[in-house]
Amino acid sequence: MGVTCVSQWPVPDGKSGQQAVEMLQRRLEATGATKAGSFCVDCETYMSGQSITPSKTAHVMHSTGHPLTCFAIMDSGTCLVADSNFDQLMTKLKGFYAPRKGAKIEVKGPRYEYVDFIVKIGTVTTGPTASSRGILVEVEYTPCVVPNDCWSLLTEFMGTFMGDNKPAIPQVLASKQDGIYSPTDTILQYLEHFNNYRKSTGNK
Amino acid sequence: MASDVRVSVEALQENQVQEVSLDGQETYVQPLSMSENLAKLAHRIDFSQEDSDGEVQLEPGEEEEEEEEERKKQEAHWPWESIRDKLRTSLVETNVLLDVLKIAKDKKYMVLDPVSQEPQPSKPVLQYVAKKESLSGAADILQKGADRLAKSQAEFSSGSRGQGDFHRELLKLRQYWRLRRAGNNILGDLSFKSAGSHYWHSGVFEVVKTTEEGMAPGSSPLEVRIPSDLEGNAYIQVVIEDQLETIIAVKAALLPNSRREAAPGEPPWNVKLEAAQNVLFCKELFAQLAREAVQMKSTIPHLVVGNQITSQIFPGVQLSIALCHNTVEEDSKDDTTSPQRCQHNHVLEHALHQMLREVHRSNLNPAPPHPVTAPFSSSKKRRVAGPQGLDRKQCTQLQETEGLLERLEKQAKHTLLRARILDMIDKLAQEVNDPCLQAHVSSIGTSTESSVRIIITSPGYEQICKTMLHVNIGVEDVKVVSKDGKVITLSYDEHELRDLLLHQACQHQVNTVQSLSKMMGWQILHLSNHVGTGPVEKLGNASGIMMASPKGDRVISVRNSPSLGPLVSVQLTRQKGCETWRSDVIKDTKWDQVGGSFKPVQWDKAKGRNFVNKIELLMGCLT
Repeated sequence: MGVTCVSQWPVPDGKSGQQAVEMLQRRLEATGATKAGSFCVDCETYMSGQSITPSKTAHVMHSTGHPLTCFAIMDSGTCLVADSNFDQLMTKLKGFYAPRKGAKIEVKGPRYEYVDFIVKIGTVTTGPTASSRGILVEVEYTPCVVPNDCWSLLTEFMGTFMGDNKPAIPQVLASKQDGIYSPTDTILQYLEHFNNYRKSTGNK
Repeated sequence: MASDVRVSVEALQENQVQEVSLDGQETYVQPLSMSENLAKLAHRIDFSQEDSDGEVQLEPGEEEEEEEEERKKQEAHWPWESIRDKLRTSLVETNVLLDVLKIAKDKKYMVLDPVSQEPQPSKPVLQYVAKKESLSGAADILQKGADRLAKSQAEFSSGSRGQGDFHRELLKLRQYWRLRRAGNNILGDLSFKSAGSHYWHSGVFEVVKTTEEGMAPGSSPLEVRIPSDLEGNAYIQVVIEDQLETIIAVKAALLPNSRREAAPGEPPWNVKLEAAQNVLFCKELFAQLAREAVQMKSTIPHLVVGNQITSQIFPGVQLSIALCHNTVEEDSKDDTTSPQRCQHNHVLEHALHQMLREVHRSNLNPAPPHPVTAPFSSSKKRRVAGPQGLDRKQCTQLQETEGLLERLEKQAKHTLLRARILDMIDKLAQEVNDPCLQAHVSSIGTSTESSVRIIITSPGYEQICKTMLHVNIGVEDVKVVSKDGKVITLSYDEHELRDLLLHQACQHQVNTVQSLSKMMGWQILHLSNHVGTGPVEKLGNASGIMMASPKGDRVISVRNSPSLGPLVSVQLTRQKGCETWRSDVIKDTKWDQVGGSFKPVQWDKAKGRNFVNKIELLMGCLT
């Protein structure tokens, strides 16, 4: 486990999402990265029932990067890291938290390894129609757990294949500074992006 | 009234005339006795009517006949008719009997007399035979009982075993072994199932009482019958074979070598059961190893042939594990045919034993705690994997478990590597006298890791300079940590370490000379551990030092290479008295200090105990 940066990759005008992903893949393969399976991060949103006031929202997220773990994040930012059995617990809590219909959002795509870096390029899809919303790129530098120590290395690496579109330091990483990075931080980054996509679709 | 007329009054003939015979004689019907009369009267009574009407009514005969005819017509189709009739007749008879009994009870009108019967003809011979037989049967029973009593009496007085002893032995057996009763048999269990084993063998043995005929003096009254496949003696033999010679032969025998002799006071069945249990354990161990050998994927596949598993641990080195199972007859023969028996290594033997026990234990006791919500028998790490958010790589590492064979191979590799390296160090220490190599093998280590500390010193100059190396012997590689913290990783080939040590010894000597020169007040002009000049070394680099005398008029140059040995040269400045160097152009005396050419020293002829001592003497000469 190392420091991870999740960033949004803008789809260039006149190109489809698929084409943009393929372009990124080509660039990565040109640098020497090898494809190593695929990944998926999904997020299910639960709304609290009438018994809880004011109403609360809980996001239950899974990541193939952490196959045995289930993350549950409240609106306040409280994050629960639990065993994958937590899903069964949520079904028992139907009376209190019910899944919001059509709110399932997930990101899927190929996973690349380049020495100590792991790059995941995913297409964000929402709802039952699985309509594509955008592209997320996750870059992980595995040997380090202190964001400050490896951020410059990460940006440099991201620059090699993302060019000018490389992201600024994410909020989560900036607040961590010399702290130790945890898997929760990755999930929070994903959630932030998911929320952004939701808002943008809501505006449309 | 005078003339008497004799009128005879005669009672009427009481009895009716039954028959008048031709001669005029009359036969009378015998008068009915009281009981007969009663029976006759009773016949007339219709009980059925009495029952139905509750009073005796004698119907006129004609009416009765008519009624009966009607009934017959009506009841002809009634299926229960016959039964009704029979019941009725039986009821009549019972009623008659009741009446008779009532009457007889009063003893007024009727008396019950026993009927005299004719006695059966007696047969005295038959009676005799019958009596004799029954008497002899009784006598037999008594005799048997008396015999048994006498025997137990005799046994009790002589102190030998018997029925009571059997039970005492059984009690003792019960203390050490699991017994249960099945029907009339007593069955025992010598498997390790209760200890967590999942091996298929039931390990059932039977406890029987020794028959009296087969009871030899000194034998136990209790005999155990073990399954035929558990008989004899078994052990697992682990041999590390080199291509040419067998370096180490290790043998994992739980009860070593030949059959165990019974300890004084120990019952013979205990020895037998322990041997059988040992066989069972060895079989389970071997089955487990064979299964792992088949499943394990390695570059060179494991060979499982018969009761032997062969795997290659190093190029040219094989590890073979064999299950040796001798039946009792072969046992004595086997002792003479295995000369390696004396070389068995207790460490691997114990390790193999211990590993299976650990597997048993972990089968039985999963890691605590045992929450009801968690999946059963998951490891501690797996349980916290979710909440700690382990990533994919760590999760896959969780699932990788090392089998017995894998661990044994690692231990065997380590054992072999350690033996080779220690052997090499010993030989090297003998070969290299100057400087001195000391090796301290650490007693603390694990089965797959051990360490050796190597100290290189020059005798007599230990205080000046000491080179210390720490050699960590692992499974497939050797790590050498030098004093400055540099880590050098070497392969399993011990020659690499040998080269390194030789190189270190060379460097050590140069370093010692450096320290010595500081003490002697000489000035170091040049010091290099890796000299770039001179002939190319076969291994490593030569190290060299150049130092000038305190006055600066003499220079000693030392070049020490692992393959060629030391090469010492001395540069002498021009002698003051020697005027040949003076010329008209160079007049200043300071030019006398300019060095001339280096002259090699015939090192083997130099005086001194060792290299450093020789240098010291040389320095002394030149100062």
